[in-house]
Amino acid sequence: MKSAQENSWLAPDHLEKEIERNEFPVARGEDVIGRLAVIRLEKGDTLPDIARHFSLGINAISAANPGVDVWVPEAGERILLPLNFILPDTPRKGIVVNLATKRLFQFKEDKNSLVVSTYPVGVGTKERPTPTGQMRVARKAARPTWYVPASIAEDHRKKGDLLPAQVPPGPLNPLGEYALYLSKSGYLIHGTNKPASIGLNASNGCLRLYPENVEMLFNDTPVNTPVLIVNQPYLIGQRDGVVYLEAHTPLEDSGAVELEKVYAKLKNFEKKSAAALDWKRVKEVQAEARGIPVPILEMSQGRAKGAAKIIEVEHPAALYGRPELPELKLEAWYVLAADLRDEIEALRIAAIINHQGPPIPARVLTKSNGYRVIAGPFNDMSEAKDAAKRLKIDLEIDGILIEPVKKG
Amino acid sequence: MKKSLLLIAMMFVLASMIGCATSGDLEKVQAQQNLINAKAEQALQDAQAAKAAADEAKVKADETSARADNAVKQAEERERIADEKAKKADAVFQKSMKK
Repeated sequence: MKSAQENSWLAPDHLEKEIERNEFPVARGEDVIGRLAVIRLEKGDTLPDIARHFSLGINAISAANPGVDVWVPEAGERILLPLNFILPDTPRKGIVVNLATKRLFQFKEDKNSLVVSTYPVGVGTKERPTPTGQMRVARKAARPTWYVPASIAEDHRKKGDLLPAQVPPGPLNPLGEYALYLSKSGYLIHGTNKPASIGLNASNGCLRLYPENVEMLFNDTPVNTPVLIVNQPYLIGQRDGVVYLEAHTPLEDSGAVELEKVYAKLKNFEKKSAAALDWKRVKEVQAEARGIPVPILEMSQGRAKGAAKIIEVEHPAALYGRPELPELKLEAWYVLAADLRDEIEALRIAAIINHQGPPIPARVLTKSNGYRVIAGPFNDMSEAKDAAKRLKIDLEIDGILIEPVKKG
Repeated sequence: MKKSLLLIAMMFVLASMIGCATSGDLEKVQAQQNLINAKAEQALQDAQAAKAAADEAKVKADETSARADNAVKQAEERERIADEKAKKADAVFQKSMKK
């Protein structure tokens, strides 16, 4: 338990309608952009929906709100929006991707000022990681065709899902509507047909963005733009005379080395500052790994403006990109996905089905002694069978087809 | 002889000073004894009842405590199962997000 003083900077200052989420000015000599905010959840909200509306990855919103149910959070609960970022320790040029924070930064010089656009990304898995290092954008394509790599085709074949050699543009194309091909062959920055995967280690090494973000990046990035991919789980930065530490859960095996680097930097800051660094606090921030910049040191006491206050954001009337749920129709086909006694479990399964890519509409129907998760409506048996097949392959759910109600 | 006469005289004097117990006195003593006995019996019964009540309360308290322990264990188990289900659902979801 933190003392009230230690966490007082997390208390919201005032209520605002909107908050900047993608584009920030970078002041000279400063490394911290954006600000933290909180929002009060409404009934039916899920963390992936809130994350997408505010251009955050599911990793970021989960880490910032430990203990909050991702799929069935409590209505009225106030959650933290980690829209405050420490820039990676790299040259501020072109595109920089930090794999540990799962965030892309695009630096743009505008006369004498520097502006950065930032977007959350989905990255490669442990088995097929995203490569680090310096590369560039080799070419770009709108509405790209996906040429299915042999390794992915084989993975799908094992699950009983035969993929075609190529997938044309459309809802089934995992590249989405835009692709930036990197100079490292076989790796792309692209959109997605699975927006809920942003912030996860779910790709085969490519970098995925939300559809709305990749469009902005695509339009704003010339061919030959340098792209630097780094892995920095611990970030240190200064703003208004305050030193911040941002800690993320490190990727496999990279934690100890990165921690040594950051401790060396902190010792250097401590030497320059008049105040002593609270190393216990540093270790707590590192262990908690909430992915938010935490103030740890004032460089020159009395002259520092202090840590930035956080704001409360109004819940929008509609969350951008939230899966839509069509009305029930008697003449439609459905798939019974689950029959459960626990409501939370039923709601969680329905939410997960809703967030598949492409989405499968699903809802919970109450019965006398439990809850049913019903996917649909589907126009015909073939659509319903396709959905049942996807439920089986992707979610290991054995769905039961429900025929339309026959008109008397 | 003189000594014997003196002793008899003294016994008469003493008897006249103390007086002899009448049948009324004896009944009174008997009644008092009965009352005390009854009170003792009542006290004994009360004590036994109190002990029995205390024993019963202890049994109930022990039972309640055991049931509370059991309820906590069951709640913990339910929470563990719910957590496990949530984690399993999340793992399946993450797998489903691959290409």
